[in-house]
Amino acid sequence: MTDLYARIEGKVGNILFNFEHSFNSKGITVLYGPNGAGKSTIISAIAGFSKNLKTTITYKNVDFESSNKVPAYKRPFGTMFQNPILFEHLKIKDNLEFAEKRKKFSINSKKTIPKKELIDHLDLVPLLERYPEDLSGGEKLRVVLARTILTKPDYLFLDEPMSEIDIRYKAKLLIFLKMINRKYEIPILYITHSLEEISQIADELILINEGKKIDYGPLPEILNTKSFQSLIGKFESSSVLEGTVCASNDVLNITTLDINGQKLIVPGNPASEGNNVRVRIRSRDILVSPIKLTSQVVENELEGLILKVEKENNTAFTEVVIGLVDSKTNELAQKIRARVTTYNYEKMNLNKNSRVFVYISSVSIDRQAYQSN
Amino acid sequence: MEIYNLLSSDISAIFITFKLALITCFFLAIIGTPLAYYLAFVSKKSKSFLEAIVTLPLVLPPTVIGFYLIIFFSPETSLGKFFIMLTGEQLIFSFYGLVLASIIYSLPFWVQPLQSSFEKIGKDTIRTAYTLGASPLDTFKNIIIPLSKRGFLTSFIISFAHTMGEFGIVLMVGGGIHGKTKVIAISIYDHVEQLSFGKAHFLAAGMLILSFIILLSLFYSNRTRVVGIK
Repeated sequence: MTDLYARIEGKVGNILFNFEHSFNSKGITVLYGPNGAGKSTIISAIAGFSKNLKTTITYKNVDFESSNKVPAYKRPFGTMFQNPILFEHLKIKDNLEFAEKRKKFSINSKKTIPKKELIDHLDLVPLLERYPEDLSGGEKLRVVLARTILTKPDYLFLDEPMSEIDIRYKAKLLIFLKMINRKYEIPILYITHSLEEISQIADELILINEGKKIDYGPLPEILNTKSFQSLIGKFESSSVLEGTVCASNDVLNITTLDINGQKLIVPGNPASEGNNVRVRIRSRDILVSPIKLTSQVVENELEGLILKVEKENNTAFTEVVIGLVDSKTNELAQKIRARVTTYNYEKMNLNKNSRVFVYISSVSIDRQAYQSN
Repeated sequence: MEIYNLLSSDISAIFITFKLALITCFFLAIIGTPLAYYLAFVSKKSKSFLEAIVTLPLVLPPTVIGFYLIIFFSPETSLGKFFIMLTGEQLIFSFYGLVLASIIYSLPFWVQPLQSSFEKIGKDTIRTAYTLGASPLDTFKNIIIPLSKRGFLTSFIISFAHTMGEFGIVLMVGGGIHGKTKVIAISIYDHVEQLSFGKAHFLAAGMLILSFIILLSLFYSNRTRVVGIK
């Protein structure tokens, strides 16, 4: 289902835009692309600040850019720009009230987020009586986020909102955003450069380069596309697996995930039993083998089938996309991408459709890289 | 008796000077503020042209401005005719002619401090207000004005002081008519011409002290926190 449609054409600086997309009205969509790809311009244009661009923005069958153009302040979107700004002459509580009072939005009277809940979640209580100039970058960001949400937007546009947040708080904020998205049904369009953030919160990815959409789809699918791999560079090549927590060991501080019937041990206790968890695994951290290794040395063993082989010219490497087997149905479920040397690939006599075992050392799974759903 | 008359002439000059400066600032606020806003935020090519025109009085010799204003205000021009039709009086040598002239030559003194104050607030702040649902007028009233209080104060003080101190244009356009267009600056000139240095001292020292106090308070307020914030 789609409510929001955008078509953006024209030239800004060196970028020639030719972008068109029907946005999902559910979930979290991440706009991803290299610096200067035009991500911020796209959000600005939808929000009503197009600079000399030819745009068509329709929302719920209303054309925002028609002859009686809907100005930015009447659009039912909440936009948080890259350099968030607080009004310096107003205390934090008055900054929040500024947005709350105007409350232009809520075309659909969805569930409203209580202000108190917002303030508690973002730890704003000690900041309320202070002035913006006395706040750190991260604190300002949290206030701006709360202020944007207080306008009750139908859509939330966030342009790299985590840039000034330290790593510990980031995880908390990402959970918060996901909660806002799920519980209060506010779709989010999110710009980020961070693979960690993408693997944690993206439901869908739009890949942008030079003002054009190069790919779009659900996260796991896009992560395995060539276009995404070429955008992020081989070093960061990775996949995201989703699993359910089926056991945790507090003494050893590990958690066992059920990934379509196969087991994966991850360090730490990211979530309690029954919850869904996402794990990002770098392609270079995976060992692929056509024969079963002895269980004495193996930590995690997953079974699968080689679906795709990408030999790289002029490098020593080959990447393979492996479909993991669902142990209950015996069908292929999630995909994982592994990076091996072409030398080893040929030595093992692997081919498309070869049955393989995938070995992952739990140590290589980044603590920051998983997130409960 | 003679002393009384001279004093009353000085008092009327002081009164006219302050009245002129206040009324001028009032109109500058109405005309100069939107102009400053436009110049601060609109990035069109026409902007440079307008900026040059607004700044002209800053660099032109007062006699040049005075000369053109005399021609512009004369009863033969449509403006002159319109004024006569409206008031039955000539615009030239009238107090309102003086006000109009003051607005023109003090315009850059109102526009420039305010424009730089607006520019410092920046487009992003305005955009942010828009995204929160504030209309342009709402944004101007509740964000721009409170954030540029210092800019307004500077504009007011500088324009007021400059209007109070202008001599050449005021003499040419107003003619220095006692009780009507004779301001302090002209009074001092007259006293000096008549070699009444005592009376000139009285007014000159008054202007000196007042101007110093005005500037001192301006610079002091700039050193401390932004006026009106906290």
